[in-house]
Amino acid sequence: MEKTIEIINGLQKEGLIRNYAIGGGIATIFYIEPILTYDLDIFFIPSEEKRITTLSSIYDWLRKKGYKPYKEHIVIEEIPVQFIPVYNELIKEAVENSADKRYGKRKTRIVKAEYLIAIMLQTFRPKDRERIIKILDEAKIDMNYLEKILQKYNLKEKFDRFMRLYYGE
Amino acid sequence: MENKELQRQEIKDLFKAKELFHKELAKLPFEEKIKILIHLQEIANGIQTSSKKKQRIWKI
Repeated sequence: MEKTIEIINGLQKEGLIRNYAIGGGIATIFYIEPILTYDLDIFFIPSEEKRITTLSSIYDWLRKKGYKPYKEHIVIEEIPVQFIPVYNELIKEAVENSADKRYGKRKTRIVKAEYLIAIMLQTFRPKDRERIIKILDEAKIDMNYLEKILQKYNLKEKFDRFMRLYYGE
Repeated sequence: MENKELQRQEIKDLFKAKELFHKELAKLPFEEKIKILIHLQEIANGIQTSSKKKQRIWKI
């Protein structure tokens, strides 16, 4: 995975993406016990001048390095990676405010737990609900920070309903 | 009556211990968690009978 991160960092160095953060299941694993997932989700902010063609330029650059697409992913050093352009303001903000972390010797960025909760409240698939519960139970959450995010993106009411349903609060 | 109360307490302790176990796993270093993830992927693929549904297992 170190090599995978090195390659993803290379995309940023080359100016193909402006910023990125690990999201999805792998970001969730950073905060909770390991859960089953098969891909590495990368949320990215496109470079200004390459806003439209970014996905294809990312794929072209990676193909030139010998990495091949696999279903909706591209396999980088044996790990299927899915590149997802920030598709709304919440996700863009989550990437901008992501946490600097290290995996082995490589620097990387991971979406903060509070933003993960907000994003999962938006997507709200059964697996998202399960993961929200696990994050709330196992991770240290800054509830004031979370509340600010939820209010900004009109998710507070949904979160309160969720808490009443699963925690009786 | 006393026996039932004892049993209830034991179950409560059991769940508390399980909760602590999950929290301890959550505190593992990220790199260790990724190693565990790969074991999970291998286990899940091992019990998947349909080869079409088998997923690519990570190599790190």
